[in-house]
Amino acid sequence: MYDINRAESAVTQQDIKISARNVQVYYGDTHAIKDVNVEILDKTVTAFIGPSGCGKSTFLRCINRMNDTIDIARIEGQIRLDGEDIYDRRVDPVQLRAKVGMVFQKPNPFPKSIYDNVAYGPRIHGLARNKTELDEIVEKSLRGSALWNEVKDRLDEPGTGLSGGQQQRLCIARAVATAPEVLLMDEPCSALDPIATGQVEELIDQLRSEYSVVIVTHSMQQAARVSQKTAFFHLGNLVEYGETDDIFTKPQDSRTEAYISGRIG
Amino acid sequence: MTDLPMPQSGAAPVPKSSLMVADTRTRRRNAAEKRFRLYGAGAIGVALIALVVLLTSIIGGGAGAFRQTYLSIPVALDAETLDPKGNRNPDEMSKVLTLSYGKVLDRAVDAAVGSSEIEITDLSEKDISSLVSKEASAQLRNRVLADPELVGQTVDVNVLVNGRIDGYFKGRVTMESAAADANTSPQQLMLADALKEQGMLVTRFNWNFITNPDASDQRPEAAGVGVAILGSFYMMLVVLLLAVPIGVAASIYLEEFAPKNRWTDVIEVNISNLAAVPSIVFGILGLAAFINFAGLPQSAPVVGGLVLTLMTLPTIIISTRAALKAVPPSIRDAALGVGASRMQSVFHHVLPLAMPGILTGTIIGLAQALGETAPLLLIGMVAFVREFPAAPPEGLFDPASALPVQVYNWTQRADPAFVERASGAIIVLLIFLFCMNLLAIFLRRRFERRW
Repeated sequence: MYDINRAESAVTQQDIKISARNVQVYYGDTHAIKDVNVEILDKTVTAFIGPSGCGKSTFLRCINRMNDTIDIARIEGQIRLDGEDIYDRRVDPVQLRAKVGMVFQKPNPFPKSIYDNVAYGPRIHGLARNKTELDEIVEKSLRGSALWNEVKDRLDEPGTGLSGGQQQRLCIARAVATAPEVLLMDEPCSALDPIATGQVEELIDQLRSEYSVVIVTHSMQQAARVSQKTAFFHLGNLVEYGETDDIFTKPQDSRTEAYISGRIG
Repeated sequence: MTDLPMPQSGAAPVPKSSLMVADTRTRRRNAAEKRFRLYGAGAIGVALIALVVLLTSIIGGGAGAFRQTYLSIPVALDAETLDPKGNRNPDEMSKVLTLSYGKVLDRAVDAAVGSSEIEITDLSEKDISSLVSKEASAQLRNRVLADPELVGQTVDVNVLVNGRIDGYFKGRVTMESAAADANTSPQQLMLADALKEQGMLVTRFNWNFITNPDASDQRPEAAGVGVAILGSFYMMLVVLLLAVPIGVAASIYLEEFAPKNRWTDVIEVNISNLAAVPSIVFGILGLAAFINFAGLPQSAPVVGGLVLTLMTLPTIIISTRAALKAVPPSIRDAALGVGASRMQSVFHHVLPLAMPGILTGTIIGLAQALGETAPLLLIGMVAFVREFPAAPPEGLFDPASALPVQVYNWTQRADPAFVERASGAIIVLLIFLFCMNLLAIFLRRRFERRW
């Protein structure tokens, strides 16, 4: 269904969407992220890989300030989205999260209808002036997440009644509906079977044409299949960052090499 | 109790065992499990027996309160006595005292018994007229004042009979006990039997028990829980209006918004402690704060409601927080992830999911408050109240009674007829509690959603 060559498809645009400078994250006394510098490109899928507890999810959650909800988390350094520091005092995290959507590890649709799940974001952000516009956004988002044909006849049914893979695509549709610029995905396929995983991966590849996608994954095969850029995290350090092909074929760092060849992690 | 593995000594060869024969360890484990099941069934059995005993004793003692004996006779409402001015003006007529109605009633009873061809032995006219309750003349007066046109006519009246005669038909009073009782005599009871045969004494469902106010020591047959039900209802209204919004708002703030630091820890511990404070302490607090300091009236449902609010708040806060905690964090993440503010995520997603738990906790708290007696005794709700409180909000400041206090009150009285009334009031209280619990279960089912 998928071959590694797919990832080689040309990266068309090279605009820097997100740039992180000397980012440190502390959970209480634990230094979880150590001095991470990274530049994430627009219209590109960037994968964060690394063993459990290496800080890749923590760093991902810094990009839309989800760590703000954790009382003991403390962040230093700078993360710029389109050149603007998202940790500036004037930035409202709520506004930021409308621009930087997120899909979580476990599918977590609201216990509402499929329609309301997708329409929630546009509603609270006032993206639709009337019902027709809202209907359009919902349809576009569901088409965008390759779910429309499966659910178009039962939009009133609860989102929680869908299968795991469908739920995750519903969550992607929900994230896409707020018209974000960046999509963060925290191990979106870890709770899915191989077929659902394939569908979501295909979707991620399509999303690349409109968004900057950052995906955290445990599976190196998945990183190789879907991403153009890969960052390898180890014990809170960003060890290596580069073209996905280079990371997997000629890693510069011995730790990267050890991880991708299965000797650590 | 536990099945820790026995230390294996050395390399003792383990003999090959068959699956068809249970080994010692398995047998012991199975026996332990069987014993535990027996304990459990035994505990449930004891609880069930206690419940059955409780219900039979209360229903056996209290069912009588819902039936009442009346003397059904024609009463000639003499215009001379009841409306001396003859203008049928209720204001003028209200100057006629209950005593005069008593005389009218006495005459009617004597006449009815006289015309019934019952042989009367050893009974004076006074003995015969004392068959009816002392309350009956007041009831007749109320009826006439409500409809002055009745004066001058002869109307059929169901006259409340005296508690002893009523008790005779419910098996509480016997010929032997009547012989030793100064308030009645076996002859009276025999007359009552004869009247029953004639169809003049009828026993029917006692709506008055539910609608009447309390009555004095001498008139148990007229006592009812009307004022107590209304008073309890007003207090529940106050508790509902105060405890629910304050409790739910406090728990949402503590659970979802408050920073987790030493202060919130202190508050949390203190809320748990408050839940364990004996209810009478809240009564003393209410007496000091609301009556002595704030100057609110005694015996008023508003004070009772405030005290019960204080008492119910910890229960509501604890159960609401538990319900909020039970909402999976992934829902909060999902809402924040699409750019909802903290408040939107709570009010759009977390609160609806926590609703069944919050409602259940609230109703259980209310039920607990409904049955609470001790704090109400201290704020004067124990007073003897005959007047119905007015409609809220003014009525909240009128004196009233409360159901559990009424039960306590009646059990203090000498006449055994009040024991029956007290059990009857307990049945009313239990029915209310039962309905509230049913409502809690219904709401839980109705709002429960899976995620």
